[in-house]
Amino acid sequence: MIFEKRTERILVPMFFMVALFVPLFLESNSFFVGKVTTIIILSIFVMSLDFLVGRVGLITLGHALFYGLGGYLFVILSPEYEAVNFWVYTFYICGIAALIALVTGAVVLRTTGIYFIMITLAISQMMFYYFFDSLEFGGDDGVFIFMKPETSIFGLSFLNLDDPQHFYYLALFSLFNTLVFFKVVLRSRFGRIVEATKQNPDRTEALGYNIFAFRLTCYVIGSTLGAYAGFLFALQYGFVNPSFLAWEMSGTALVMSILGGLGTIYGAILGTFTYEGLQYFFEHLTEDWLLFMGSAIILMVIVLRKGIAGYLEKLLEK
Amino acid sequence: MTTELFFVQLINGVQYGLLLFLIASGLTLVFGVMGILNLAHGSMYMVGAYLVWYFATVTGSFTVSAVLSAIIALSLGILIERVLIQRLYNRNHLDQVLLTIGMIFVFNSLQSILFGNDPYGVAVPGALDGGIPFTDNSSYPIYRIFAALVCVAIAGVLYYVVSRTRLGMLIRAGESNREMVEALGVNIKSLYTVVFAIGVMLAAVSGIIAAPMRSIVPGMGESVLITCFVVVVIGGMGSIKGAFVGALLVGLISTFSSVLMPSMSNMIIYIFMILVLLVKPQGLFAK
Amino acid sequence: MANDIVLETEALSKHWGGIKALNDISLQFRDRQLHGVVGPNGAGKSTLLNMLCGTLKPTSGCIFHKGQRIDTLKPWKFVRRGIGRSFQKTNIYPEVTCLENCAISAQRRFGGNFNLFASRHSNQMVRKAAEQALAQVGLDDRTHTIAAEISYGEQRQLEIAMVLATDPCILLLDEPMAGMGHEESQRIIALLKELKKTYCIVLVEHDMDAIFELSDQLTVLDNGRHLITGTVDEVRADPRVKEAYLGAEEDDAEEQAA
Ligand SMILES: Nc1ncnc2c1ncn2[C@@H]1O[C@H](COP(=O)(O)OP(=O)(O)O)[C@@H](O)[C@H]1O
Ligand SMILES: [Mg+2]
Repeated sequence: MIFEKRTERILVPMFFMVALFVPLFLESNSFFVGKVTTIIILSIFVMSLDFLVGRVGLITLGHALFYGLGGYLFVILSPEYEAVNFWVYTFYICGIAALIALVTGAVVLRTTGIYFIMITLAISQMMFYYFFDSLEFGGDDGVFIFMKPETSIFGLSFLNLDDPQHFYYLALFSLFNTLVFFKVVLRSRFGRIVEATKQNPDRTEALGYNIFAFRLTCYVIGSTLGAYAGFLFALQYGFVNPSFLAWEMSGTALVMSILGGLGTIYGAILGTFTYEGLQYFFEHLTEDWLLFMGSAIILMVIVLRKGIAGYLEKLLEK
Repeated sequence: MTTELFFVQLINGVQYGLLLFLIASGLTLVFGVMGILNLAHGSMYMVGAYLVWYFATVTGSFTVSAVLSAIIALSLGILIERVLIQRLYNRNHLDQVLLTIGMIFVFNSLQSILFGNDPYGVAVPGALDGGIPFTDNSSYPIYRIFAALVCVAIAGVLYYVVSRTRLGMLIRAGESNREMVEALGVNIKSLYTVVFAIGVMLAAVSGIIAAPMRSIVPGMGESVLITCFVVVVIGGMGSIKGAFVGALLVGLISTFSSVLMPSMSNMIIYIFMILVLLVKPQGLFAK
Repeated sequence: MANDIVLETEALSKHWGGIKALNDISLQFRDRQLHGVVGPNGAGKSTLLNMLCGTLKPTSGCIFHKGQRIDTLKPWKFVRRGIGRSFQKTNIYPEVTCLENCAISAQRRFGGNFNLFASRHSNQMVRKAAEQALAQVGLDDRTHTIAAEISYGEQRQLEIAMVLATDPCILLLDEPMAGMGHEESQRIIALLKELKKTYCIVLVEHDMDAIFELSDQLTVLDNGRHLITGTVDEVRADPRVKEAYLGAEEDDAEEQAA
């Protein structure tokens, strides 16, 4: 069983059961379906960050780089007025994002601790300015995606990305797969060494493991999935702009993952939904919602140290 | 590039570098002594700029506003350290990052509530208005020279305090050895409060000095924060000397690149930082 | 005789600023022998082991393993050459079970470390190797206990089990018996006697009775200098050793008095 904790075995099926039926009940309310789709996509991004920060021990403040790259790579690679194949382009985008992660990872992973935090931030900031200043990609305003890809496999098409409900299910399917994938990876022999490296890197190295290689592999995995989430997000909204890879995006995702329960993987879903819910609530309450969000984050660091998952586990695990 | 343009850019670069040093020195000091990475450091720069703008519009005097703002910043530093930062001492980097991100949100939102989101400018104080003739038909603004001199003076004071005074001795000892400072009978808590408050004030003073030269806009804190990161990463985290060298390098590189290759200029300091890290992963003056 | 030498240092030195933790040490470690290293606190014993296992790089001098120079290699490559090391300061994975601690150590040899999908529990060889290592040090009854929850002495045993699980040819042990009870120490001494028939063991230990009983060769370090290397009897007879040790004992006495 890849879900080792009771809390996961209760919450995960519950979430996906409910999520499966959401669009059916809200058929008329496509705004709401779109909003939930966005949060699901964001959950994938946050989950990939939770893996890196909570499980591998790489505190990155530049994860949004890959979120943005997911969108921009699509714009760069695909012809403007022609629908391309979704699966083929997913493959391209993830492949190139993985390659970029491999190269940047080889640089950033030379550093540790506080340096790692700062250099990941700086690299993502560098790419932020690259797109911000580029005339080709619309600078500040970003670029529109006019044609959504088609999704046929061997001529069979069962998914229409222009339909919000279909898109919803694609996002949900992706989230489920991401969750299962991370759980499988963490349970593997590879995952054992990753876990060991986080707990005690020096000892792991002294036992003969090339911890750099393990960290780099994880960095590539996490970054690639982050890019996939960004790709989905860009498709849903039909545009991509530099704010995708702004540092605020990385910072917010980090807050979400900690709110959910750092390193729990499934907690990313809890954290993202809660954060977005809170934001929605504050936004409607007051224009100055950022003040409340900021205070909530500060309080969270001081009081709620294990995140929502931590509290649920306290209740549900014996 | 003509010789004249070259010299103007050289002075601009040095002046920008000195300002960066002033901001970065606070960041690196707080990290070096207390082991705290304060992401809200840029917000303190913003606080300085907005405060001086506000008082300048109310009182009409730049000097009075500058002093008032600096005092408020210092008190703010003490308050933040006592209420929030103190809780972080035995926590990991992640908690520091989060808490200070929360602070950024709070300060940004306070800025927009109190001052709105329009860009503002502060008039150059009368006595320092005007320019020093450079050639027959060009001149260099006096205020920029003045700002550079103030930065140099503060850097000098900082150097003196750190290397010559009892406080400096404690700071240097605190960097390497907490217990030793305690053994000297000094309350490490008060030392940390003082250091953090100084750090905040350095950032705020930079904002005050920069106010007449730059526009005061939302988000100014973050952009300066990230530039400071580049500075301290290049120089070596925790090293004041490193911050000085890093700041001048970044100042000069970004000034010249904005003339020589404007389309790349925002990126170039990051590329430079990556190059430095490839050679020295701990920065140029790492301990 | 010469090809017995599996590990050799040549003029090895390590300096930290002004501190000369080790100075000009040339030693030879032979296969199927237990080589004891003793010396007062701060003599540089741990520093020596840290360099032999690659975690510290020498300031000058070289290390040879079976005639090949290895001091320039990355730390993790040392283990792949069969050089295993236990730490003076307990250095385990506190959050997982004892079995898992040993499984982490053992797994490297069996491959599949980059297999992202196969469950970590699926490889029986890893499990067997881990269980065997636990049994060797007498921790079989703690297999499923979280490492942070066992006693200090048991953690010391686990520390050794973790090295054994890497299946080394050369064992570098840094004060393995420190903090163990009498019974456990006896067990480890018996184990080391058995192991030295097949391995090269470098043992740093404060327990003189154990060292004298076990060592085939004995090296005395003092203040970073190499005092003498010889058989136990040669070393015991050497006047310089008595001096170094008497001095140290006086220090100890003073410390205790203070
Ligand atoms: N990381 C270090 N930095 C500076 N000095 C060190 C370091 N590690 C050890 N030393 C010094 O090196 C000397 C030898 O230490 P060590 O090898 O631990 O001695 P032993 O294990 O024989 O007690 C001591 O004087 C110690 O203070
Ligand atoms: Mg020692």
